[in-house]
Amino acid sequence: MIDVYRALFVGQIQAASQYRVQSVLWMLFSVIRPVIFLAAWVAVANAQGGRVASYDVRDFAAYYVALSLVSNLATSWNAYDFEFEVRMGRLSPKLLRPLHPIHYAVVENIVWKMTTIIPLLIVLGFVAVTFDARFRATPVHLVLFVPSVILGGSLAFLGGWVIATSAFWTTRVHAVSTLWDRAVFIFAGQIAPLALLPGALQTIALVLPFGYMRGVPAEILQGAVDVPTAMLLIAVQAIWVAIFYALLQVVWRVGVRQYTGVGA
Amino acid sequence: MGEPIIDVRDLRKTFRVTERQEGLAATLRSFVRRQRRDVNAVAGITFRIEAGEVVGFLGPNGAGKTTTLKVLSGLLYPTAGEAHVLGFVPWRRENAYLQQMTLLMGNRTQLVWDIPAADSFRVLQEIYGVPDESFRRTVGELTELLELQDLVHKPVRNLSLGERMKVEFAAGLIQSPRVAFLDEPTIGLDVSMQSRIRRFVAEYNRRTGATILLTSHYMDDVVALCRRVIVIHHGHLLYDGPLADLAERMAPYKIITATLRDGAAATIDLAAYGTVTGRDEGRVTLKVDRQGAPERAARLVNELGENLADISVEDPPIEEVIDRVFSEERVGTAT
Ligand SMILES: Nc1ncnc2c1ncn2[C@@H]1O[C@H](COP(=O)(O)OP(=O)(O)OP(=O)(O)O)[C@@H](O)[C@H]1O
Ligand SMILES: [Mg+2]
Repeated sequence: MIDVYRALFVGQIQAASQYRVQSVLWMLFSVIRPVIFLAAWVAVANAQGGRVASYDVRDFAAYYVALSLVSNLATSWNAYDFEFEVRMGRLSPKLLRPLHPIHYAVVENIVWKMTTIIPLLIVLGFVAVTFDARFRATPVHLVLFVPSVILGGSLAFLGGWVIATSAFWTTRVHAVSTLWDRAVFIFAGQIAPLALLPGALQTIALVLPFGYMRGVPAEILQGAVDVPTAMLLIAVQAIWVAIFYALLQVVWRVGVRQYTGVGA
Repeated sequence: MGEPIIDVRDLRKTFRVTERQEGLAATLRSFVRRQRRDVNAVAGITFRIEAGEVVGFLGPNGAGKTTTLKVLSGLLYPTAGEAHVLGFVPWRRENAYLQQMTLLMGNRTQLVWDIPAADSFRVLQEIYGVPDESFRRTVGELTELLELQDLVHKPVRNLSLGERMKVEFAAGLIQSPRVAFLDEPTIGLDVSMQSRIRRFVAEYNRRTGATILLTSHYMDDVVALCRRVIVIHHGHLLYDGPLADLAERMAPYKIITATLRDGAAATIDLAAYGTVTGRDEGRVTLKVDRQGAPERAARLVNELGENLADISVEDPPIEEVIDRVFSEERVGTAT
């Protein structure tokens, strides 16, 4: 399996190198939104004498810088790709190879993140300095951030695949995945740090999986939660990953049967 | 005869298609009760193929050829019936089966467009777990046979259709499959590329002993490659036997071509010998009953004497036979 991954990586890195410029532009584009939200919250905080609940201007800056980083590392666009593959019949040859099609997507995903991480860090460093971000993270937070962002990325990836498999049943995957993306937008911590969401909304956000994709790792990196809370949140992330992994097994098996049953 | 490599029994595949109707009322109605229709793409076919055979799988558009190949390669679940390929049930898609089989479709691509084929080959090598040495040997052979030297290092999307098809062939054979399903492998290629692919398939079969089931609408492919053909129509098996006997069983006539000396053509009435189907200067083609053909030819030679410059008796062209088969319903099978 390691050899398979090595070969897939080599191929994908080559393919991706032809789209380096596009990838970086995409990445820059994806940073714009959090920066707009950051600017908005800074304006709100300043109007209220410098803070909103427990967050001051510099906390917001740290949060949104962390969130941008996490969003990039935990983004997943499988549903769109997958729908395309199903529609164009490109999934069929993959199904006839002794390798689960998800592995190609894993590699694609990781390679995309590798090609964009360095320019992303530079841009975020620049944003952090401009807004004078204050990170409260201790070394322990930084260590905990690693599993947290990996779990967040895995959760987003697996969730994306569960949504993508709807392509086996419907041609309207776009509607389904748009709905999913909206939910991510609202509940994953983009609009506001989860801690600042009003009561009911915060409870919902903590029950749903979306916050565990992005908001949680961002808060850990920022140092907004204490270490025991961080460990608890990571445990919940792991549970969500396990749930989505199991869910994917089931929908994939049923879905492929459906796909190959009706005509591939 | 040993165990057949491909063993198909009463295989059926029915597609259930939803009929979409125009108009709002019909659309609303379709939410309540959908208009369903069954398409019997494969309606119960049975055949066996032995190791090393190259069999032509013929039939008009929509006959069920691609559907059958998809079932046999494991991409589709059949509605009923049984199939074993290399002893495996294809649609279980066990890795041990996938490793020994390939499905190549002339109008589909499985290569990554953005990278050179050589790199795709490497990925496939790892996926199929081909040891380095056999990988090098296989790629070497394929490169030689298909003349790929200059092609494998260019990104696939920069290749012409024919070049890409050659590279697709190589990609589909990296695992050295024992069974190959080829669905219209020469579609859209120019004549010389078609014959190049044809020679390759023949040579590949000779070298590796792989069993090949191939569909094509180009009779030249079939004539060049297949001693045996299976003909299906509307999902039913029409004929299974030697290509050489197809004409005999399916077309009960022969073609006599008589070339007459200058001027004679105008004066002699050849309609008495058979149905005149063509006339070109002194050359006349006659369609005659298969059984009666030798006797007619003899009479022509006797009665025309000096006026006859040349004469030949042949089976009708294979295209014509096939066309005749397709325009009829079930004829029965030869076994
Ligand atoms: N996925 C599908 N859903 C519904 N009907 C299908 C599907 N695939 C094929 N069919 C139908 O099944 C029949 C057989 O199709 P198939 O593709 O096997 O024909 P074929 O012999 O390969 O024809 P061709 O020579 O045109 O390639 C056709 O009537 C086709 O419309
Ligand atoms: Mg076909």
